[in-house]
Amino acid sequence: MLRKVAITLAVLATVWIGGDAPRAMAADPIQFGAIIPLTGAAAVVGTQEMRGIQFALDAVNAKGGVRGHKIEVQFEDNQAKSDVAVLSFNKLVDLQHVQMIFTGYSGPTLAMAPLATRKKILMVNAGAQSDKLSTASPYLVNTLPSTGDEVKVMSKYLVEQGKKKAVVLFENDAAGIGGRDDFLDLFVKAGGTILAQEPTQFGQTDYRPALLKLAAAKPDVMYVVITAGMVQLAQQLKQMNPDFTTVGSTFMSDPAAIADPASTGLIHTQAQINAPPELAAAFKAKYGDDMDFFARQYYNAAQIIFTTLDKVLAENKPVTGENLHDTLFAIKTFQGLLPMTFNSNTATVPIGINMMKDGKDVTLTEVTAQ
Amino acid sequence: MLWLQLLVNGLETGCALGVVAISFSLVYATTKIFHVAHAGIYTMGGYLAWWLVTHGAPSAVALLLAVAACTVGGAMIQSQIYARLERRRATHLVILIASLGTLAVMQNIIAAVFTPNILQFPIPWAANVMALGGEVRLTWAQMLTIAVSLAAYAGVMWFAHYTILGKRIRAVASNPFLAQITRLQPQSVYVIVVAIASAIVALPGVLVPLDLGLQPYGGITPLLTATIAMIAGGVGSITGAFALSIVIAELQNLSLLVMPGEWSIGITFFIFVIFMLFRPTGLFAAR
Repeated sequence: MLRKVAITLAVLATVWIGGDAPRAMAADPIQFGAIIPLTGAAAVVGTQEMRGIQFALDAVNAKGGVRGHKIEVQFEDNQAKSDVAVLSFNKLVDLQHVQMIFTGYSGPTLAMAPLATRKKILMVNAGAQSDKLSTASPYLVNTLPSTGDEVKVMSKYLVEQGKKKAVVLFENDAAGIGGRDDFLDLFVKAGGTILAQEPTQFGQTDYRPALLKLAAAKPDVMYVVITAGMVQLAQQLKQMNPDFTTVGSTFMSDPAAIADPASTGLIHTQAQINAPPELAAAFKAKYGDDMDFFARQYYNAAQIIFTTLDKVLAENKPVTGENLHDTLFAIKTFQGLLPMTFNSNTATVPIGINMMKDGKDVTLTEVTAQ
Repeated sequence: MLWLQLLVNGLETGCALGVVAISFSLVYATTKIFHVAHAGIYTMGGYLAWWLVTHGAPSAVALLLAVAACTVGGAMIQSQIYARLERRRATHLVILIASLGTLAVMQNIIAAVFTPNILQFPIPWAANVMALGGEVRLTWAQMLTIAVSLAAYAGVMWFAHYTILGKRIRAVASNPFLAQITRLQPQSVYVIVVAIASAIVALPGVLVPLDLGLQPYGGITPLLTATIAMIAGGVGSITGAFALSIVIAELQNLSLLVMPGEWSIGITFFIFVIFMLFRPTGLFAAR
């Protein structure tokens, strides 16, 4: 009799300990996290990222959630700062037991990556592009190409256009330095020459001294890697009236900059992700703002997670970071706003070369980068 | 002509910094309060003008109303925070902490009301460019900044030396105890000084963002640089604060000719550290 009681207690204890893992009970809401910049100079991007996630959340929850589970996302403001992001990560994971986190900005994401590996928390980045993100953690997946992928496409395009002498204006942080290093390497490999480079600080909006110095090198093209202050850059470039072309990556696609007439002629690479007109209209009706690139990216990232979660729940597995991670790579190809395949931690997606013109972003050409 | 354009850009940046420096110097030399919340007033001026312009106010009206609002804001900070703390015999360190707290509150309110995004004034003429003597190109916003800053400097000099109130302020700054017993009412003078300084700092607070955009936390760097200019120029010297602001801005700009940009701020302030070692009272300090 005592033996039966002991076995029963042992089984109950096992179930109880196992229950500490976040196995979703019927109708329990499932909590995820998002650590993105909601204040500071990067907030214009972070706010759109938050809206993209929230828009996807509201849509899925309106349909009853994923297999009956409502989805909730706790938003944490990382201010685009690494130390703040790490604190937020620990709060979400250790206190809230969140198993999946949307992230943004290279520095903060790189800072959280070792923690994600150690604690087996899936992180989904749909906005940052530093090359280091590709290998930062097996638990970090990137739904957009790295800066290196975009730089490779842009370098080839520039050399084909006969623009072989370049200067670089870069932000003195992880994203900017990563982009600069890629350009210094890949543009030269494509047959170009680097004449000069100048740094700026994050959030700085007086680019004139750096622009003047770079212009004095007489380049054909200036490659720009900054993540904030694009409107001011476009206006100061217009003031200079330079005889070189200004190009950049997805970082350039600030909606305010695109809308500013001074940005006409700026060329940039961008992961091609479009929203169907009815979706874009619903977004605009809800937020009074266009569904820009970052909103589309994070909406799409949320769809990937919902699809992954659906399969995890269908297989009756606990909703852990490890199971979400394994299932995402088992599904491998997703049909969201754009088809993407995860052959590695960074998705393979089409990259376009766009030109800003009269308040619009016009695609000149499109290629698929591996 | 790279150096000439850098020189002119440095002059514009330095003039704007100079106005921040002379206004801060006015407060510090008189009240001995390290008025960090001055950065909040600077930022507030820009946002108020932006709000007025986006609601249809003419640019000049927006500037004047922003100046008026900052004047009231400064007077309120002095009379309702600093004066109350001084009456309770708070040390200058406590007042500094109160000032820091006021700045944080102001910045957070601005970020909450106007969003933390970088905002641009919807004034197209401000970005119009004028070419001066060949290759030097300045926007209207930059030229306006230079003109208004030089006028503000001249105005403050005239006010301090040729008006009764100016002389009264200098008397209080020189010896508050004597001013008290001779019924110059230092506490009233302090309120007036902070109000005037707030009105003055609202000018670059509006004109600089007209060119470079608005950020809720954008007032701190100009204030820190202006503080260094004030100390290096000699505390209490209006000309010293204004001139050293221009020197700092010129060094930061022209140093680009010989070194990469990431070194310019470090090297500039290294030069000032060396300078202060040899002349710790500042360049224009009264002997």
